[in-house]
Amino acid sequence: MARQPAKEDPLIRMQKDLKRAKEKDQKTVRWIMVIDQAKCAGCHACTVACAVENKLPPGVIYRPVTEHEHGQFPNVRRSFQPRPCLQCDNPPCVTVCPVTATYKNAQGVTVIDYDRCIGCRYCLAACPYGARTSDFAEWHAKEVPAVKGVTAGGEWAAAGYEEKPAAEYGEAWKPRSRRDSPVGNARKCHFCLHRLAVGMLPACVTTCVGRATYFGDRNDPQALVRELIGSPRVMRLKEELGTKPAVYYLV
Amino acid sequence: MSRNAKINGPAPGPVEMDRRKFLKCSALAGGLAASGALALHQAFSGDAQAAEGGAYIHANPENQLYSVCQQCNTNCGIKVKIVDGKAAKIDGNPYNPWTLNPHISYKTPLDKAATVEGALCPKGQAGIQTQYDPYRIVKVLKRAGKRGEGKWKSIPFDQAITEVVEGGDLFGEGKVEGLKDICTLRDPEASKALAEDADAVAKGKMPLDEFKAKHADNLKHLIDPEHPDMGPKNNQFVFNWGRLKGGRSDFVQRFCGALGTNNRHGHTTVCQGSLYFSCKAMSDQYTDGKWTGGSKFYWQADLLNSEFAIFVGANPYEANYGPTNRVPMMTDGIADGSFRFAVIDPRCSKTASRAWKWLPVKSSGVGAVAMAMIQWIIEHNRFDARYLANANKAAAKADNEPTWTQAAWLVKVGEDGKPGAYLRGSDLGLKKEIRKDKDDKDFEYDAFVVLSGGNPVAFDPNHEENAVEGDLLVEAEVKGMKVKSVLQVYKEVASAKTPEQWAEIAGLKASDIADLAREFTSHGKKAVADIHRGASQHTSGFYNVMAWFLVNILIGNHDHMGGLCKATTYDASGKKPGQPFEVGKAKAPKSFGIDIIRGGKAFDKTTLFDKFPAKRVWYPFCSDVYQEVIPSIGDAYPYPIKALMLYMGTPVYSLPAGHELISILSDTKKLPLFITSDIGVGETSMYSDYIFPDLTYLERWEFSGSHPSMPFKVFPVRQPVVEPLPEAVTVFGEKMPISIETLFLGIAEKMKLPGFGENAFGPGLHLKREEDLYLRMVANVAYGEKEEGADKVPAASKEELDLFAKSRRHLPATVFDLTRWKAVVGEELWPHVVTVLGRGGRFQDFEKGYKDGLLANKYGKMLGIYLENQLKTKNSMTGKPYLHYADYVPGPADCMGKMLEDEKQGFDLTLLTYKAVTQTKSRTSGNYWTLGPLPENAIEINTVDAQRLGLKTGDLVRVTSPSNPDGVWQLGPNTKKPMVGKVKVMEGIRPGHIAFALGFGHWANGSGAQTVDGVTIPGDKRRAGGVHANAAMRVDPVLKNTGLVDPVGGSAVFYQSQVKLVKI
Repeated sequence: MARQPAKEDPLIRMQKDLKRAKEKDQKTVRWIMVIDQAKCAGCHACTVACAVENKLPPGVIYRPVTEHEHGQFPNVRRSFQPRPCLQCDNPPCVTVCPVTATYKNAQGVTVIDYDRCIGCRYCLAACPYGARTSDFAEWHAKEVPAVKGVTAGGEWAAAGYEEKPAAEYGEAWKPRSRRDSPVGNARKCHFCLHRLAVGMLPACVTTCVGRATYFGDRNDPQALVRELIGSPRVMRLKEELGTKPAVYYLV
Repeated sequence: MSRNAKINGPAPGPVEMDRRKFLKCSALAGGLAASGALALHQAFSGDAQAAEGGAYIHANPENQLYSVCQQCNTNCGIKVKIVDGKAAKIDGNPYNPWTLNPHISYKTPLDKAATVEGALCPKGQAGIQTQYDPYRIVKVLKRAGKRGEGKWKSIPFDQAITEVVEGGDLFGEGKVEGLKDICTLRDPEASKALAEDADAVAKGKMPLDEFKAKHADNLKHLIDPEHPDMGPKNNQFVFNWGRLKGGRSDFVQRFCGALGTNNRHGHTTVCQGSLYFSCKAMSDQYTDGKWTGGSKFYWQADLLNSEFAIFVGANPYEANYGPTNRVPMMTDGIADGSFRFAVIDPRCSKTASRAWKWLPVKSSGVGAVAMAMIQWIIEHNRFDARYLANANKAAAKADNEPTWTQAAWLVKVGEDGKPGAYLRGSDLGLKKEIRKDKDDKDFEYDAFVVLSGGNPVAFDPNHEENAVEGDLLVEAEVKGMKVKSVLQVYKEVASAKTPEQWAEIAGLKASDIADLAREFTSHGKKAVADIHRGASQHTSGFYNVMAWFLVNILIGNHDHMGGLCKATTYDASGKKPGQPFEVGKAKAPKSFGIDIIRGGKAFDKTTLFDKFPAKRVWYPFCSDVYQEVIPSIGDAYPYPIKALMLYMGTPVYSLPAGHELISILSDTKKLPLFITSDIGVGETSMYSDYIFPDLTYLERWEFSGSHPSMPFKVFPVRQPVVEPLPEAVTVFGEKMPISIETLFLGIAEKMKLPGFGENAFGPGLHLKREEDLYLRMVANVAYGEKEEGADKVPAASKEELDLFAKSRRHLPATVFDLTRWKAVVGEELWPHVVTVLGRGGRFQDFEKGYKDGLLANKYGKMLGIYLENQLKTKNSMTGKPYLHYADYVPGPADCMGKMLEDEKQGFDLTLLTYKAVTQTKSRTSGNYWTLGPLPENAIEINTVDAQRLGLKTGDLVRVTSPSNPDGVWQLGPNTKKPMVGKVKVMEGIRPGHIAFALGFGHWANGSGAQTVDGVTIPGDKRRAGGVHANAAMRVDPVLKNTGLVDPVGGSAVFYQSQVKLVKI
């Protein structure tokens, strides 16, 4: 088929979809994500954008991208699979939480109430996708010594970003320290609810270099994601477990 | 309700949701969204700087500044979100075409763009870890031990400037000459006279004795009065840069100009030198009777409109002036089946792994694939005959073709059967015309000739009206002379071997190459071969590149949508009519003389010529030959150097066989003074005498220009967005953080250099701070290039003027002062400047980039495919003329052209490098977030080779080579770093080849210990992960202190070293 000039970036289209979703009855919104593996360039921009957006410490990762090599030389392919929290309709992590700190919100996003979470890590064990990690209060650079006034040292990194609170869940968290949440908690992808609230797409979506990650309201017939989940290439991870993920892959 | 329930909705208990609370919350969220994002954050953030409950302050335009990334050289537009004066998050600038397809209209008000963001790659996303890197330096460091020993003391800026300028016994090792002793020729008149007469001596037009007598008073300023064409002693000061873009480059040129040195060298040849310099040669035009005017540039694909692309040694999914702008152009077409691509690369890169066809070529066979393609296309008549027949501009115009070629031009065939110079009008007995050149001087014009319908027709290549078309495949006799058309020459060159023979050299199947050629010629002009380092960084790089561009030229895809594209930028120099500030002019002595890399000069045209070969290679067609700077200093060829200033470069780390530089840089006799500008102590700055701290890309100005992957006319502006780290100092009475500009200004003030300080740009127009230059350049761009400002950008609205100040409220007066900034450009231009700065540059709207199937921003000239300048110039090493057309040239060869025999000596693996998408070459190892996905690299090897060598994934191996049999980095007299890496066994690499990703295996840059003011700061081992195997790359056996080179196109060779792996 002949190539047609570009008309609208999918990011712009999806932001319009988002605006429409925000304007309707929120009970009828069901957020889903679609990841087209034919378009994923395996660049890890989503992984890093998410880490920066949510000020993730070492060891905490919400959206890794796995890489697999297939075939034998010279018939070789590689595939890349980003794996956010799949926001299951039937989430095994929720039922095991002894303090009801994790639950599904009305739009289908599994969230964690950091104030309730006691860090027992049952949910980490329960998630069949490994989508949760624990925050063990590690630092990237804060502990690097300095020659005062001559080299920057860890204080510079701490003041720059390490102690900066994340904007997760739209809350003003305290400067990051060893004492306060989310340190000690389970942590996971939350579809950047704090960004959705102001009409912005999740950070992994806007930074997707291949435009492989799509986001929108499954219940909106005009949404781009609705077109995509009608594709014959669609699949969901470990469907046999009955978890009913809200993240779809096109393979 | 728990505090994070505002957005989540409240905790409902395990199953049931509290309906009343839920409705309350969702009503809140819905209501806010309806009133718009802007209203939301305004409602939530009284003081936008404070993170108050629920507000997402990143969405507030008062907390956003637009600038340009520099985590790699793609230079994507960025939107930096500021919290409490610090950069909190970086995303893509939606006005900038690097991050959205199409990018948003330039007219979009800033508040409407506040919640729109484009994409960025992982390096760009991690940029705040470059900004807040704990290993950055704040003050000037002076070595307190031997070079490279890792001992430093901090000294005041003023003291550092004094020492660099005045010299003296700076290190207790004896007297060191300062800049004032080196740059002694300061008189513009005297230098101009010396330059002209030195040139006359070199050309044999003035006897040396006459020169000496005439300039007796000034001979003391020359390096060697016996060789006046070496120029003044000022040339013994060298300025060398790694990553340098517009604005800062203007500062560099002004500074070096004022010091009168001709030694100003970039790093081009470590990246893709032969790509630049073959395109420079191909873009030479026939002007005023000679071949001249070629630009140092190259073409890339307009991928947004291509239907088929061949990536030749290019990896846009990970590097290659991608991935951010190029990948979406590809995946957009992959998704709907309107685009597919092939990759020619011995390694299955991420790009190759998603290609329609991966052709795992033998590294040295990449040029052979082009020859096979050329042969197939000509033999099968799949070239664009209508396009190629056009012999001149008028003929091209008649076909609505912006470019034309020499395909139909006739060349004379020598006695030996070899194609020589063009057939000229005078050969047919036509009289040469006397014409006027651009300086109104007479020159002789001699026409070129085609055969048209069998009859010779003389023509002018640049004629606008007399269209001349020629027969394409010509082998004939004209007036008793044997002649051929250029296309015929190529038909024969490409048929020198059978398709199977070419395929064998390439290590591919002939049928695969035929499939490639058929597909390439099945999309009209919307097919393209996109060429990069994998073709150019070879000993035959110049010819590989030229052959691959010829493949493109056969379908005539230049300037067509989906074909080949060049970069286009708005003019900031102020030279266009009506532009307010001409910033390029400066009083200075005339710089002249042979430079240390011997660029732009033929050896036999200088007074140094005695016999071939020269001691080192001369590069008549190149500049910026990075791998020659320090080794030539080591050899004092053609003359000794007294001081080197290195800016944002690390040749030790980045050059092939860069380890050879260490002994030169450590030797204070070979290099008496070594000054660097760096944000920390890097692999090369660790050997310097002084390190001046520099600003990061988020703290400073620069104009990043464009790249040929970008069809739109642009002028992206990097500008200070956060408070700078380096200490503030006073220069010219102004307070500013230490940076390269501050270093220049400090030296200029101390030496009273022309072109700086009071009235530097003319009466009342000073240059006392960096923005005195930069704001004026932005004003020129805002004004535009048409008379009376007809394409001036709109003036900023009242709201945007207010926003301009508010969004910079966190910047200290050392970098931002609204009143002063306004005064630099004047009240009238200021609102227009604000429009440009507010959007992070000036960008042509998307729909203006294309017209009638063509690119709006055209190359629009002749494409040279048969190069007489090469034919008429002698190679300094062989004494023979350079090959003047594209051909397959075997390699690897040394600089004499002799094939290397390393493979026969048992060095059984070809070493390759590549860039992983998470790292740029040398300076992102401190980005901890990107180390998450890839904490270390590996030695990647095919299963077949691994089995043969008994290796499995995770084994440690040492990389050894004929020129580094121990497999070590010798970092100092007593310090060695073994070149040991972990093996990764895979299918996605051609057997016989191994690869490692660049950016790992560091020993400085925060990974090794440094002692400053007596305190030792240990390195961070996370920043030292993996292996850096450049030191295994082959040292040229003739040059002995430099890796292999392309002696024509200047490239440092990355892909042709034979190595062995030794299991540990």
